[in-house]
Amino acid sequence: MIEINVTKRLHTAEGPMDLVFSADVDQGEFITLFGPSGAGKTTLLRMLAGLTTPDKGTIIVNDQRWFDSTRRVNQPPRQRSIGMVFQDYALFPHLSVAENIGLALPRQKRRTVVNELLNVAGLKELAERKPDKLSGGQRQRVALARALALKPAILLLDEPLSALDLNMRLNLQEELLRLHRRYQPTTLLVSHDLSEVFRLSRHVFVLDKGKVTRSGSPAEVFSRSQISNKFRFTGEVVHIEPSGVVGIVHVLVGQDVVQVIASEQELATLTVGKRVLIASKAFNPLIMPLAG
Amino acid sequence: MNSIPGTIAAIDTDGSLSLVDIDVAEGTTMTALIVETPECCPWLRTGHTVQVVFKETEVSIARNLSGLISLRNRFPATVSNIRCSGMLAEICLDFVGQQIISIITNRSAQRLQLKTGDQVEWLVKANEVSLTAK
Repeated sequence: MIEINVTKRLHTAEGPMDLVFSADVDQGEFITLFGPSGAGKTTLLRMLAGLTTPDKGTIIVNDQRWFDSTRRVNQPPRQRSIGMVFQDYALFPHLSVAENIGLALPRQKRRTVVNELLNVAGLKELAERKPDKLSGGQRQRVALARALALKPAILLLDEPLSALDLNMRLNLQEELLRLHRRYQPTTLLVSHDLSEVFRLSRHVFVLDKGKVTRSGSPAEVFSRSQISNKFRFTGEVVHIEPSGVVGIVHVLVGQDVVQVIASEQELATLTVGKRVLIASKAFNPLIMPLAG
Repeated sequence: MNSIPGTIAAIDTDGSLSLVDIDVAEGTTMTALIVETPECCPWLRTGHTVQVVFKETEVSIARNLSGLISLRNRFPATVSNIRCSGMLAEICLDFVGQQIISIITNRSAQRLQLKTGDQVEWLVKANEVSLTAK
């Protein structure tokens, strides 16, 4: 169990903002932090890692006190059982894949653990390569394997897949789920990508201006009403084209833009940039196999 | 979208599908065919209050309709407003105190010679009707 209860005043371009976060996370859970840039998501990860000090509060991980402002406890990062992966692949350029993964491991365990991770993460063929000979997806796979090498209590992922193209991102999401099932680290993922939130996490916290505005399962949080429709997506309005008594609303769903007809009443509630739920009856869509 | 409140009066389930009857006014029942079952959906219960939701473009309008038709969602209403622009026409209907909007082609509106105050029937297929819990 991870008990987080922290506050910190942040100085943003729009003035001071208080980041307030409080949650109990069960061992092995997969949590996402979702919200606009500047909401405080990365700062929260840094506070867990010990890279940023909260103003007040406690961080207790499996009964170990990592941070407690009243008792002046503040464990340094290396004493916290944490694995981290960020958007930019922070691999050591002069070390091979295997050496990067094994870097932090004690010598006697190194070979066994590295071999296992190379196998599990599908990196065996690349073990001797240097990072500059890897694709972006492969580098993130190495970073993930390295983050898991010490079997951390908490895995912190700060938009680790956002620099990858869609196919690679989908592959790595699968990979991440598989690794999470195998090693079960309690995982906190920062993501901007709604489909990623739905695919990976069981619980999501929506942060805005330092506060949690909503939390729950992705379905509870992002589908506002309990609607019977089985054919539904969430997306973002990217364009609205008036056409007589209706409007054609262009909605970005994943990587695709779909078009939805909206009545004048509906148009009054929509603006470009707004997040929307679109739903149709399951009886409605045509379905046909694609060639090839 | 059209959204009217109602109370679930009956549920007939077969496999993953349910045919749900909803009382929307005294003696007036709408039917929705949905991919949902009472086992999986906590609010799909007789007596539960729901919103009956369907898109304006799925609402047909008829005048002096006779003969047999498969649709059971057909209800009398009064035309309260008509707005035509370009290819489409928006027909507002007064249905037991609720507003129902139908968007049909302007051509059809002309053919029916619709005008405010007309008595018509509106129709919607059960498989186009969604339900949301309140």
